This record gives sequence, C-alpha cells and structure tokens, in this order.
Amino acid sequence: MTAKNPLTGTNISRRDMLRFGAGGVGLGLFGGIGPVPPVLAQASRSVAANQSGKILVVFEWFGGNDGLNTIVPYGDPLYYKHRPTIGVKEADVLKIDAQFGWYKSMRGMKRLFDEGKVAIVHGVGYDRPSFSHFTSISFWHTAAPNSGNEYGWVGRTAANVDPSGARENMIVNIADSQTLAVKAPKHVPLVFVDPQMFKRGVFAQEKPVLDTLAAADEPVGDAHKYVLEVTKSAAQASEVVRAAWSAYRAKANPDLRLLDLDKVVALIEAGFPTQLYYVPLRGSLFDTHVNQAAPHDRQLQYCSDAIEGFFSEIQRIGRANDVVMYVHSEFGRRVPENTSLGTDHGTAQVNFVIGNAVKGGMYGKAPSLSELVLGDNLQSTTDFRRVYATLINDWLGADATTVLGQPFETLTMFKTQAADRRAKA
Amino acid sequence: MIPRTLWSPGPAEWQDDLSHLPPSEWNYDRAAHLLAHAGFGGRPEEIQKLADAGLDRAVESLVRYERLSNPKMQPFVESGFWDPTIDRFPESRPDATDRAEKDGASMGVDVKPAGNRPMQPVSDRFFYWLRATMLETRRLGYWWANRMLQTTHPVEEKMALLWHGHFATHENKVRDYRKMHQQIELFERYATGNLLDLTIEVARNPAMLYFLDAQYNVKGAPNENFAREVMELFTMGVGNYTENDVRECARAFTGWYFDDLTFKVDPGKHDDGAKKFLGRTGNFDGVEILKIIFEQPVTAEFLAAKIYRFLVRDEISPALRRQLGTVLRDAHYEVKPLLTAIFTSKDFYSAPSYGGHIKGPVEHMVALMKHLDVESMPGVPDFNQSTIALGQHLLNPPSVAGWAGGKAWITPGLLIARGNVARDTLIPDMTGFRDWNFNAGTDNVLGERMRDGYDIGAATAVNDPSKMSEFDRVALERDEKFNTRISGYIGWEQAARKLIPTPRDAARFDLTAMVLTSGAKTTTEAVDYLTWRILRVPLATETRNALVAFLTKELGTESVDRARTYMEDHLRMTVHLLMSTPEYQIV
Repeated sequence: MTAKNPLTGTNISRRDMLRFGAGGVGLGLFGGIGPVPPVLAQASRSVAANQSGKILVVFEWFGGNDGLNTIVPYGDPLYYKHRPTIGVKEADVLKIDAQFGWYKSMRGMKRLFDEGKVAIVHGVGYDRPSFSHFTSISFWHTAAPNSGNEYGWVGRTAANVDPSGARENMIVNIADSQTLAVKAPKHVPLVFVDPQMFKRGVFAQEKPVLDTLAAADEPVGDAHKYVLEVTKSAAQASEVVRAAWSAYRAKANPDLRLLDLDKVVALIEAGFPTQLYYVPLRGSLFDTHVNQAAPHDRQLQYCSDAIEGFFSEIQRIGRANDVVMYVHSEFGRRVPENTSLGTDHGTAQVNFVIGNAVKGGMYGKAPSLSELVLGDNLQSTTDFRRVYATLINDWLGADATTVLGQPFETLTMFKTQAADRRAKA
Repeated sequence: MIPRTLWSPGPAEWQDDLSHLPPSEWNYDRAAHLLAHAGFGGRPEEIQKLADAGLDRAVESLVRYERLSNPKMQPFVESGFWDPTIDRFPESRPDATDRAEKDGASMGVDVKPAGNRPMQPVSDRFFYWLRATMLETRRLGYWWANRMLQTTHPVEEKMALLWHGHFATHENKVRDYRKMHQQIELFERYATGNLLDLTIEVARNPAMLYFLDAQYNVKGAPNENFAREVMELFTMGVGNYTENDVRECARAFTGWYFDDLTFKVDPGKHDDGAKKFLGRTGNFDGVEILKIIFEQPVTAEFLAAKIYRFLVRDEISPALRRQLGTVLRDAHYEVKPLLTAIFTSKDFYSAPSYGGHIKGPVEHMVALMKHLDVESMPGVPDFNQSTIALGQHLLNPPSVAGWAGGKAWITPGLLIARGNVARDTLIPDMTGFRDWNFNAGTDNVLGERMRDGYDIGAATAVNDPSKMSEFDRVALERDEKFNTRISGYIGWEQAARKLIPTPRDAARFDLTAMVLTSGAKTTTEAVDYLTWRILRVPLATETRNALVAFLTKELGTESVDRARTYMEDHLRMTVHLLMSTPEYQIV
C-alpha cells in the first residue's frame, strides 16, 4: 500500500515509513524527522517554510486569567483599594512604565517584552459578556459572542488560507478532545496531547489487519473518501507525531518546562506544514477563586517560563521570524478581591501577541478602575475580534472579514504587514 | 438463514429525484439502508420484516410509529437531588454567597451564627447542586441512549436526537437535569410532529428560556439572544433578516419567562407595542413572530435541508433543497410527509446516498450495540465517557449552534477513538474499570487530607501539608467566610451519597452463537457473515482477506465448528477490527 506523506506530499509506502520514519533512521525523506544530516534537514525545513508561510500558535489560558494581577496597574491607587490583600506590591512589580508592570513571577515575559517582542492588549472583551467559563469560551472559539457558529475561528481561518482544504495537518490542536476553535469546514485538525497515546488500542495479534484499514477498492462516495483519507492520515499522523516527538531532543532538558508547547516546537522542527497551532492549557488552573496568590503566582511563572522557553527553542531551530503566539483567556476576573483571598469571574482581560515580527508595546485602552460595570467589573475597550482580525489579516495574510463575517479595525502591531510582505515578494 | 442480498445502491442518476422508488426495486439491502438511516440499524430479522412489508408499508411503520407498542420504554428514575430550595439557583457562587450575606440563608441553608467559615454550608450547597445536576445528567444521557437502543420507534428517537442538536442547550449552563429531561420529552413528543408547533414549544421551554437569557429580555431593555438564534440557527439562517428584525423580534418575546418547570408570560414586562418585522407591522407577540418566520419559504428549505443532511447525506444540492422545502411547506411543516417523501424517493436509494452519511457518536454507539445484538447499554465502558471521547457529549452540545456533524465527526484522533471504544465494548477492561461518577478527580486529594486530620487551610494548600512543619501548617489556617475549593470536594461527596449508581456490567452478547446460527462453516464465511451484518459499505478486499487470515490463524483452523468451544474472543477481535474500518463509520 502506498500513501501520501503528509509532510512532503510524496508517495511512500507504509513499509518505507516504518523503515525511514518511525524507525528513527530517516534520510530526509520524511520531512526532516529523525536524526537527519543537517544539510538535508535544512533543505526540508526551507521547503516546509515555503509551503507553510507564517505560523500562529494560540495559547489559551482557560479558567479566566486575572488580568489585573498579570499586567498590574500599580500606578492606580484604586487598584490597591480593590485589592487590599492580593494586590501586588509596587516593589514587587516588574515595571513597564509609571502605571503598569508585569506580575512579579513573569520574568520570562518581561525579558521578551524588553526585547520588544511582546504586544500587550488591554481591556479585551465583548459586549454583554457571559460569566460562564463554557459559554464565554465558546464565544471566543467561534468568534461569535452571544451567538454561535458551527465552526471555530481558527478552522475558518484555515479554510480562508487554503480554500481547497488540500493541505494536510494545516491545524494542530494539542488537546484531549478537539477544541471548538479549530473545528474546520475544510481541514482535518490533528488533535492529540500525548504523542505516545495518540495510537490505537490494539492487541498484538490484531496488528496485521490494522495495517490494511486504509485500503479500499474504490471509495463509494464523498464521505467514504473522506473517512479513508482520515484513516490514512490517522495512521500516518500518529506515526509522524510520534517520530517527531522521539526526535525532539529538548524534551529531555529539565530546565525547559514548556507545558504543552514542547509538542509544537517538535512539530515545527520536524517541518510540519502546519500554520495554525491551538494549545489550550488544561485544567482550569486560572480559575483562582480561593487563596489566589500562590497558585496564580506559580501558574503565571510556569506559563511565562514556558513562553520564553518556547521562543528560545523557536530561535534555536531557526524559525523565529515565522512564529507568532497569541495568548488569551475566556474572561478576566472581578476587580475587587473576594473574602477567600481570590477573585471571581469577570469581564475584560489582557491579551498578548508575541514574536520577532511583533512591534512590542501596549495596545488598546486600559479599562477604568473607577467606572466599573456589571457588578464591579471592567468595561472592555477592545473587541477580541479586533485582535483576531489583526492576526488573520496582518500576520497570516488572510481575509478577516470573510472569516469573522464582518469587518473589524485591526491593531497595527506587526513590523511589516502580510500584504506588504507579499507585495515585496 | 436469511438470504444475503448483495449491496445494491441505485444508479447515480437517481440523485435529487424525489419520485417514488418502483416496488420492483425494493429488497433486503434497501431495507437495511432505510433502517440504518431512519434509525440506528437493526438485526437481520428486523430488516427482513421491513423487506417483506414492501417499501410503502415499511416506511409507514417507521414514520407513523404511534400505533406500535413500545414495551421497553421506562420512565427516568431520579436519584432525588432536587428540592424546592434549589429553585432560582444562583448563577454563580458569588451570587449564592451574596444572597446568604444579605438574607442570612441561601438555597435553603442558613449561615452559621458564629465561628470560622460561617457561610461554608452555603458554599457547599452551591457545589452540591452543580455536582448533583452534572451527575444526574450523565444518568439522563445514559437513560436516553437506552431508549434509542430499546425503542420500537427508532425514527422518534433519531429525530429527537436531531432536535436536541438543533435547538441546542447544554446542562453546563442550564444546571438543572429536570429541565434537560423535560426537553428530551419535548423532542420525543414533537419528533415527527409539526415544526411550527415544535418551535413554539421550544421558545416556551424552560431550559431554552434560561439558556438564551429570557430573564434578561424585558420591555424597555430587550435581550436579543433568543431573537437572534431563533432566526439564525433555528429557522432561516443568516442573511435572511436584518439587525432591525432581530431587535423587533426580541421585543415580541419580552416578558416570556419560566417558573421552575412552567412557562409564564409577565404582562408587565412584555412590550405589546407595534413591531415592524420581516416587512410586516403589528403588535406581534412571540407566537405571531414565529408564524411570520414560518411563512418565509427559506424557513422550509432551511429545516428540510437540516433534516435531510442529518438523515441521508452531508451534501445537498440547491435544487433538492428547494424541492424538499416545497414538500415541507405544502405539508404545512408536518414532518411525517417530508420523511415519507425522502424515504420512498429514488434519491434516498441512489448511489450518493449509500454510504453518504457519517454516523454521529451517539448514533454510532447505539448502532454498535444493535449490531452486537445487545439488549441494553452496558455500564462498561461508560456510555458518556465513550461518546465524549468520540466528540459528542449528550445534553452538553458545545454551543447554541449544536454539533457541526458530518465530516466534523471524524478527525484522526476521533477515528482512532472509535476503534478504541469498539474494543472497550467488545473486550471490556472489567478489572481496570473505575467509575468516574465516584471520582472527584483533582479534588480527591482534599478528601484524603481532611481524613488524615488536616484542617481546611492545610488541606487546600498548594504544597503537600505532610511535608510542612507544624508551624507552617497552622499558619495556613485562616479566618474566612467560606472556602470554595473545599466546597468543590464536599459538594461531590454529598451528591455521590444520593446518586443512584449505574450498573457496571459488560455488554451481554454471544458472537459464537451468532456465527453458528448463521450457518457459517469456515472462517471465510464467518468473516463474510459478520461483515454483511454490521457494515453498510463494502469492505476492501485486502482488509477482508487479512481478517480471514487473522481469524484462521487465531482459531488454528478454518473450521468454525471445530473452534466453537473457544472462538468467542477471537470473533470479538474480528468485530473490533471490522468496527475500526473506515467503512464502519458510514452508512
């Protein structure tokens, strides 16, 4: 049986794949997976770069991140009035200017910010906000606040970038089950968490039959053709993902704690043609109702270190100019702290857009701490779809109006616009 | 033994042709195609009965099912979680404790007059109900899946499942299993009834009213949530109305609310002024608005296409969409005439409709049980965990838009999960199974620590209290009104005490008897029989040959009779492999 290699588009047989790919003695046939000679690896990388263009990694901080204790408005006395106990002391803040500073444990992000690689967007939200984790995240996933859409904004973006839907592994979703954001009209997102677990549960004696599953005499129709394609890509993806993972050396480095971002680096390094990565942080760890200081401190440090580590890895593999990360949550938290030394579900939040291509700085208007709305909450000042539109138009060079169903004014946060890059090319 | 009629899709030219299938074209395979699409498939005997009845009577027996007795349907037995103090359940924990702060009690629980954490019982009560309604909704989904499996009215359950995804609400927000139960009953009652009536009932349904924020839709301050969805997702689709129509529509529904499980209208909050809606002007209320929506030809087309895509195949041509819309409109939105027209049409039996439908996860699980001749849903594997792994959490669709369906049901990971769920059903891990209903997950550690004698401060500490000094441990205890983290655990415990446990039995079936009864003598015949019985699309020759080789090798003989005393698990692996094929995922 032969099948199309999802990485190179060449036809290779399953036996070749096992020999060259999963066996770990690849010769570059496999898009750079395995310990390949540097020259070949580089070649396959540049091919992949041409194919894939710019990469967007969405890192979702589910649980409702407390934006006020992330980018701390230490210059505003009202902040300390609302947060007498859990407010971050001025002396601890990693200062940006006379008004704002990074939360004390976010040294990694601060370093990236000082290098001019981080755009902070204040007051991101939407009208008539939901205080439910699930409802609000579904609004963010579909880019349809107080409404809905069958498909996610990332899935629709993929269809806009690659209308034929022909590109395999266009979207990778590091998650237990497919995130609504990546549900795509044209593409089959590759969804997994543990590369080792991304495999069939199979008894030893069943294996020879499993190898024939993607065989078909002649597809009987469109649905059959589709399921067959997924069967092939499931077998292959499960193998290439595991091969990429086993080739990824940095996973052994105990100083690099990348959360789930290590899988993204592994796939980028292996030359995956993926342009859209979606990584929801698992476990609602930002839902800090109780005794928030310690877990939030730790959580922000982990995430901040992971992001810095991620970009150092991206730098190492030579793709620093091709990768941008976007960080958001489903909502921020209520302005006044509660009686359990924590905070409750709120409204507007702070977002980050990170990468070499980004013009670092602060964007949007920070919400007022004196004019609170909806029961002690922040009034959002930037519709989150404006950030989406910026990423879709200016970074990926796609058409945000089509993807989002209506035009949104973009934020000018990239050093060069996708349209200008195209014009130059 | 039932004669094996070969796979017999009609010619491709039949596509989009709604004319009646000639009686001479009716056969066993077409009956199998009908039952797989209209319901969840069935045993060969059931299919043979439909084949013998002839096309019209077969379709009538499926579509006009009311006269058929349905002896296995059992009412849902509640664990007994609800009591009237839960009514008007707070929208959030802060809401719950704010009420207690104001009134000295919340959700029927008093604030303690003195001592640390005086509001702990209130916070616990809030989490008790969150856990209770979540756990009971799992039971409800399992109960519903059993109805799908055991009903003699498969079309009723299949259509109810469609309406659940179409008029989507989820328990995560509704937070009341009783309202979700009420909705299942509504969808069953109107499964094949009148669509205008169904939509009116949905607009008055407490779960929907709560889900789409009816309580915030009042005269002078209309909330457009329901108004927008009723047009965008439930009836017409985007592009067929203006933003002004949305605003006017919202006004017509102002004052609609619910009292516990009953629909009410508050005349004081209803805006009975004139509205200009879809080109008409009048003092419309919600029902009149819906009637105007159902006068639009696009509504009939939108709904007919939704039904067709759910039952037949994912792709529908604009021409067929218009034709089916006309059928539905001419039938004044009665569903039965539309279903009859679809199921008796040449289009339904045309080549593109054969294997044109990717089974949804719940449909897939029910069909899987039917293929194994299992009479009730097993407890191992857990029904909800299985279907969640396949991408469909019954009673918890991901958003108001429901499930995307079609190709979205299959990703590489989900496809692999389908094989894994089949294996867990055929060869269940009985000794490794753990009941997730009695597992508080990451909160388990809190219970362990409290049982080890740590106070709440130490029990909820980030770090392990057993590795702290006594001084540090004591310092963790503090004065507070309540601790929500511990409530998450206590709420689960309290709910689990009342929860009726789900029996954790394996699926009961006997493939040895099934194969022997079929008359199969050789491993080749056994594989062919099982394939014919469970697949609706031909298996690849290579896979079929590999399966025969596998079974022969495992049995140590080609003779099924020789292996009759030990072949059960080998047959189960054969079926596991068949159910892992791409062909098994479609009908």
